[in-house]
Amino acid sequence: MDISLLIIIAVGLFIVFGILQYNKLIRLNIRVDEAFAQIEVQLKRRADLIPNLVETVKGYASHEKEALEKVVQARAASTTASTLPAVAAADGALTNALRGLLAVAEAYPDLKASTNFLQLQEELSTTENKVSFARQFYNDNVRNLNTAVRTIPTSFFVGFAKVGEREFYEVEDPTIRNAPNVKF
Amino acid sequence: MESANKRKTFLLLFFMGVLVWSVAYVAITAFGGTGAGVIPLAVLITLVSVWGSYFASDKLVLKMTRAKLITEADNPNLFNVVHEVVIASGLPMPKVAIVNDPAPNAFATGRDPEHALIAFTTGLLDSMDRDELQGVTAHEMAHVANRDTLVSAVAATTAGVIALISDILMRMLWFGGARNRDHHGNQMPIFLAIIPLILAPIAATLLKAAVSRRRESLADATAVSFTRNPAGLRSALEVLARDTTVVQARSNAVAHLYIESPLDTSAASKLFATHPPIRERIEALRKMEANPLV
Repeated sequence: MDISLLIIIAVGLFIVFGILQYNKLIRLNIRVDEAFAQIEVQLKRRADLIPNLVETVKGYASHEKEALEKVVQARAASTTASTLPAVAAADGALTNALRGLLAVAEAYPDLKASTNFLQLQEELSTTENKVSFARQFYNDNVRNLNTAVRTIPTSFFVGFAKVGEREFYEVEDPTIRNAPNVKF
Repeated sequence: MESANKRKTFLLLFFMGVLVWSVAYVAITAFGGTGAGVIPLAVLITLVSVWGSYFASDKLVLKMTRAKLITEADNPNLFNVVHEVVIASGLPMPKVAIVNDPAPNAFATGRDPEHALIAFTTGLLDSMDRDELQGVTAHEMAHVANRDTLVSAVAATTAGVIALISDILMRMLWFGGARNRDHHGNQMPIFLAIIPLILAPIAATLLKAAVSRRRESLADATAVSFTRNPAGLRSALEVLARDTTVVQARSNAVAHLYIESPLDTSAASKLFATHPPIRERIEALRKMEANPLV
């Protein structure tokens, strides 16, 4: 085989390799976007459950103004957040506020027994878990992307693919971070 | 843990391939071509039947196990548990079914994640709490994610092909032995041919069982990567270890799909078992609880 054929084959292989690495970066980046969208879907579900929860609690424990106000305000803040740090911060604040409200509800046996409240509790509980798993899934995908961006040989193609490292979804409260399963 | 398991699976499947090849080689050299016409036909029949059942697997398995599909309205809490695992794993939502049986058990089937089905017995739903149920769900979805039905189909096909070839050749040895002694050339002495023919199906079954055990351990590890909660699955396995009732609708064909082997465990030796012993699985999960970063 003469040298020019070898060179052509080598260049061909390199091009194929380059395409594979480029596509890998693009694919991983898209997955991160999808995973973030999933977090927003679950956060919205939670936000939608809250007015119902607030009304139900008010029906039995109307003078617990502080706990109720916290939840309403945190919910309002979460609907306006758009950048990742803002979303994560609002998410954390709302989770905290909800915990506070449900802890307060413990003192009202009538409220705890009402079927409306029990149903809401199950829905909130599962939505909270879904938010938590969505955060986990997002971070898994960010980890995969960041690893690909920083390791050789994929790192060579980062500029070409115009893909960079993404931030992790970090929630401030360590108790939220450590508890994948919420049981109110 | 996961990549070691996957490597060992490939190794085992490779050995199965070698086994099929050796048996075919014995066939061709021992009979100098008289058997050659029948064997491709037999292989074709096996492939068609196994792959046919693989594609229709969810409907077939539903019938064989008497499982009934349910909707979200039938059991919203169960659907919530499954949906949470769906979000954690990034897999599509599978179909959910329930088997009316007091023995606690669960299985998953489907040729790929887009066509998956998970079934739970009523016994399991009654005896497990939310975390345990989620551990079991994650284990079953792990089987789907790891394409275990595909791997099992390949292992079953290979074992079936080997058994079929061996069977045909054994019959030919009985009836065609006298005639073959007249041929010359690459003739293998008949008695040497018999040994691999008897041993091959046994070896194939052993390999199939070994593949199945590896995939069970892999499914446990993948399940924990979904839930990040080894305690849930570990606790579920402890519940299963304590319970001694066995599912009614069971057979060799679907035993490997269940989370706990439904076949009579006192008779089956460890070599032929489709699942690793439950104690081993619980130990492995305890190690994960103690060391969450590994």
